[in-house]
This record gives sequence, structure tokens and C-alpha cells, in this order.
Amino acid sequence: MKELFPIKQVNGFIFSLLLTVVALSVYFMDMSFTAGMTILLVTAFVQAIVQFVLFMHAGESDDKRTIYTTLYYSALIALVTIFGSLLAMVWDM
Amino acid sequence: MKIDHSQPLEYSTHKNEMNILGFWIFLGAEIMLFATLFTSYFIYENRFGNGPSGAEIFEITPVLIETVVLLTSSFTIGLAINAMRLNRPKAMLWFLGITLLLGATFLSVEIYEFVHYYHVGATLQTSAFTGILLTTLGTHGAHVTFGLFWGIAIFLQVKKHGLNPETANKSFNYSLYWHFLDVMWIFIFSFIYLKGMM
Repeated sequence: MKELFPIKQVNGFIFSLLLTVVALSVYFMDMSFTAGMTILLVTAFVQAIVQFVLFMHAGESDDKRTIYTTLYYSALIALVTIFGSLLAMVWDM
Repeated sequence: MKIDHSQPLEYSTHKNEMNILGFWIFLGAEIMLFATLFTSYFIYENRFGNGPSGAEIFEITPVLIETVVLLTSSFTIGLAINAMRLNRPKAMLWFLGITLLLGATFLSVEIYEFVHYYHVGATLQTSAFTGILLTTLGTHGAHVTFGLFWGIAIFLQVKKHGLNPETANKSFNYSLYWHFLDVMWIFIFSFIYLKGMM
């Protein structure tokens, strides 16, 4: 029974629940927009890394360099698309 | 088909390895798809005209249930893959079954949420904000729906054929897909719901 619940994954699950609780603090506590966004950005990206590395076994196979390159590349395109558009259309810079 | 026994079953043939790599590249494209949805969302977030704003229609309880349910399902599909690598197909099917039930729970709550939006007058046509909100949530929900059917197919195949390089490979790619949907939900949860209710 024990080998069906590897400690690494159980810890990862508990950690991801904790991150959710931390993220929830922006709803239940009064804080500035900047402070709230900082908390959300940190918890969301840490959560994403936990999922990719721990649960999706991203770094375990021989082709891990190709996998990570694909991930970094698409994350880069995603961030450029989002922040580039925000710069041009919302923040008026 | 050459089978390399030093590797886990899902990686054991060259084709399997390529399948998994190909699936990662597909997930990269999915990241960009959701990036464009988030871009439009952030641009239209405050353009709700005479319709309701996010703060007015978001409810914390269903969102919280959805988040915990999806996080747990991501954990159980991870356990299913772990059981698969231990060559315990029965345990794997149990975890996969639990994952599918949790996925169905998530979808039911999301459908409830959509009905709620409809009743408070937030439809696709109400405003730029509600339009992009429902498009983004709907794209994610459609992915989960597809994932449910795919998961049922995987369940039946493993039940019928047992664990072999082919079914193990399919199951592994499915687990990648399911984890990925959880990651996207975390971003929706953080930057659509919590940001909107802050």
C-alpha cells in the first residue's frame, strides 16, 4: 500500500494545497493591489513548476533538454504575448 | 518493435519516446493558445459597459471547490502513473477512476457556475468582459470535457489489454494532459477569479 503513495507526490500535493491557501489570502485579507498581484504571481508560477517537474516528470527522460526547451520557448512566447499586449493596449506606454 | 527494459514501459520503444516528446510540443502550443486567451481577457477585463463586473458575479465557494477538486485529481492521476510504473494495473485503474470522478465533479460545478452567470445576466453577448470570460473558461471546460472522454477510453483500454508499451504510453500522455489542465486552471483561478475579487 505504501509504495502506491510515494512521499514525493504526497508532499507535492500538500505543498500545492498550501500554495492555494496562500493565494486565497488576497481574497480574505485587505491588501494593496501590488501586494496581492505579487502573491498571486509567485504562488501561480511556483504551483506550475511543482506540477511540471514533480507530477509530469519533465526532467526524468533522456530528451529532457528538448522538453525543457519546448517549455521555456512556449512560456517565453506566452509572456511576450501577454505583457507586450498589456504594454501597448492597457498600460499606454 | 524493440523494447528497452531499462526504461519505464511508457518510454520502452523509440516510437513511445517520440510520442511523449510530440505530446510535450503539443502542450507547448496549448500554452500559447491559453496565452492569447489571457491576453484578450486582461485587455477586456474592465470593459463591462452596462453589464456586471467580475467582482459582482464571481462567487468564491464554487471556484474554491473547483480548484481543490482539480488539484486533487492532478494528484490522483500522478498516483495512477506511479502505480503503472510499479506494474499494478488494478491500483492504476482505481486512481484513474477517482481522477475521472473528480473531473466530472469539476465539470458539474463549472456548469452550475455558467448557469449562475446566465441568471445574473452575464452571457457571451453582454459585454466584452463577459464574452472573453466565458470564452476563456469555456475553452478550459471544453478541454476537461474532452479529457473525460479520453480518460474513459484509456480506462477501457487498460482494463481490456492490461499494461503494455502501447497502453502505458497512452496513459502517460493522458496524465501529462490532465496535469496541464490543472496548471491552466491555477492561472485562471489566480488571475481571473482571485484578481477579480481582490
